[in-house]
Amino acid sequence: MRVIDVHAHLAPQVLWSAFEQGHSWHGMTHETRGDQEFIVGHGKRILINSPKIRYTPEQRLADMDAEGTDMQVVSIHTPLFPYHWETGEAIEASKEVNDEIAGMTKRWPDRFVGLATLPLQDVDAAIDELERAVKTLGLKGAELDMVVNGLNWDEPRFLPLFKAAESLGALLFFHPQPQDNIVAVERTLRYGLPNSVGVVMEDALVVATLICSGVLDECPNLKVCIAHGGGGACFAMGRLDHGWQVRSEARVNILKPPSAYQNQIYYDFLTSSEAGLRFLIDSVGADRVVIGSDWPFVGWDPSPSGWLDGLQSLSAEEKEKIAWKNLEALLGI
Amino acid sequence: MRSIDFHAHLTPQCFWRATENGGDWHGIRREQDARGRQIVVSGTSRGQLPPKASWTPEQRLADMESLGVDIHVVSPFSGFYNYELDAGLAMASSRETNDEISQMMMSWPDRFHGLATLPMQDVPAAVQELERVMVELEFKGAVIDDKVNGKLLDDPEFMPFWKAAEQLGAVILFHQGGETIVDRRIKRYHLPNSVGNLADRTLTFASLVMGGVMDACPDLRICLSHGGGYACYGAGRMDRGWDRIPQADRLAAHPPSQYLNRFYYDCIVYTEQALRFLIDSVGIERVVFGTDWPYDMAQDWPVSWILSLDSITQEEKDAILWKNLENLLGV
Repeated sequence: MRVIDVHAHLAPQVLWSAFEQGHSWHGMTHETRGDQEFIVGHGKRILINSPKIRYTPEQRLADMDAEGTDMQVVSIHTPLFPYHWETGEAIEASKEVNDEIAGMTKRWPDRFVGLATLPLQDVDAAIDELERAVKTLGLKGAELDMVVNGLNWDEPRFLPLFKAAESLGALLFFHPQPQDNIVAVERTLRYGLPNSVGVVMEDALVVATLICSGVLDECPNLKVCIAHGGGGACFAMGRLDHGWQVRSEARVNILKPPSAYQNQIYYDFLTSSEAGLRFLIDSVGADRVVIGSDWPFVGWDPSPSGWLDGLQSLSAEEKEKIAWKNLEALLGI
Repeated sequence: MRSIDFHAHLTPQCFWRATENGGDWHGIRREQDARGRQIVVSGTSRGQLPPKASWTPEQRLADMESLGVDIHVVSPFSGFYNYELDAGLAMASSRETNDEISQMMMSWPDRFHGLATLPMQDVPAAVQELERVMVELEFKGAVIDDKVNGKLLDDPEFMPFWKAAEQLGAVILFHQGGETIVDRRIKRYHLPNSVGNLADRTLTFASLVMGGVMDACPDLRICLSHGGGYACYGAGRMDRGWDRIPQADRLAAHPPSQYLNRFYYDCIVYTEQALRFLIDSVGIERVVFGTDWPYDMAQDWPVSWILSLDSITQEEKDAILWKNLENLLGV
């Protein structure tokens, strides 16, 4: 069984090289406090909570070999998204990251494909960089946050980006902030709840927003994938449907109930339970679910594909689709 | 067969009477919008009430007949939690509402039971009112919000409340009031309700478990409305989060998924597949009938919806519709 992983993070070597030389990288610096290390800058303090996030491509490949992953779809660690930076700096940093990922895909074309980082505070610049990333660098799309400096994806200013992605055949992979998300902002920092609970809320919210905004009608061929199995989105699709039935504001942009759109979206298989994954497959179809391991932040037993392979409630055909067939077709690899 | 509805709201008649001629009820006013809809005005917040919200107990009973619902466990309208108001005022509005529910219970003892509203911004006062309704008025518990003026309910401030609820045998129903966690992110498409209610309920489950409240109060009885939101679906990720907390810092003795069967959940999940998932996750003895009467997010024919589901056995249907609540409430 071939294994392609859509959800594999990267903190670029260009950042670590700068730190090693005692420099900052676009305003980000390295900080050690006790036995904890952080990347600090632009109002963020990002805990380095896995030593593997520093790995060189060679070390990453060894790790992939050990866990039986043939290919990673590499995208940036989302706390490094530069949407809130000064625009020029964000454009520069995006280009550096995308060039680095492109370098990995050119050197190891059988092992890596890449998703770009975009300077979303300037939609025109983001479209330019997406075009460069796909046409010139050969990347497969872009990774996006759930919100851009407080703006949701249904804002009209983002429609040109979706149109551009659709015409480029670019995949848009949505992934939330693991820490600075809706739970941290609105409620609590205790017990790691922003990560353990906030992430699935953010995933659910972006699915609901993309569906209810009408973007999927405007861009019927848009390729979208949501991390963490879409969070609670598909489990709770019935409530969205009922809201659509009884509330006019839920119907303003879509003519069909929300559930009719859920299989226009791809979801990674990171549901954290077999029952959850089975539910997701039954909701959206095995054609819409792909391996996403959250490398290097989730410890899999025994490995992402090993976990999938051991599931009793999935057929061999479903496992093949999830492990590689769907992504092979989606990304043309 | 019976059916007992654990998620049925009441906008008290005392509010409708007090605001009849432009008056106020504990500072809360009522307006009519251009389309004749009733709007509650409390401070800076404005909320729309459905036509049935003004119904008398007799009208409610007629609607229950039509729906095939035998008993409403009545809980006060969550728009009147009044946690942001002066505590004395909230105590007065709570007592008046709870007394009205008590009257309904006395007039129709076979049809109505009560859940109280409490002035949660003043924990000693909330405990006092909970004791009053449980001991003197024979209520079954209380309904509270997922947050009290920005605080979640795992805050140490609320531990005396949880201890009192446990000791009194009160069932605490969680139901959002005011803005949900989604409101400030996006107000469009009804998402503050259709996503926000579920998100807030999930956070309530996670914070009570991870904050050690469920360990500190082993006999505490909590019901999470709207099926507990994403709690049962998202428990696997919570387990991984719990796993990452150093053992010395953990306030919950076990991974969160092991607490799923410590809570009760209403059945308002809209799809058969989700209800089946909920039952399989938390245990059939933990799922209870609830309708969200009289709001638009209620299903049109909730009893017949349950009865129509192919993947739920008759025994499970009986457990949901009445047996579990009979056991839980002693009714």
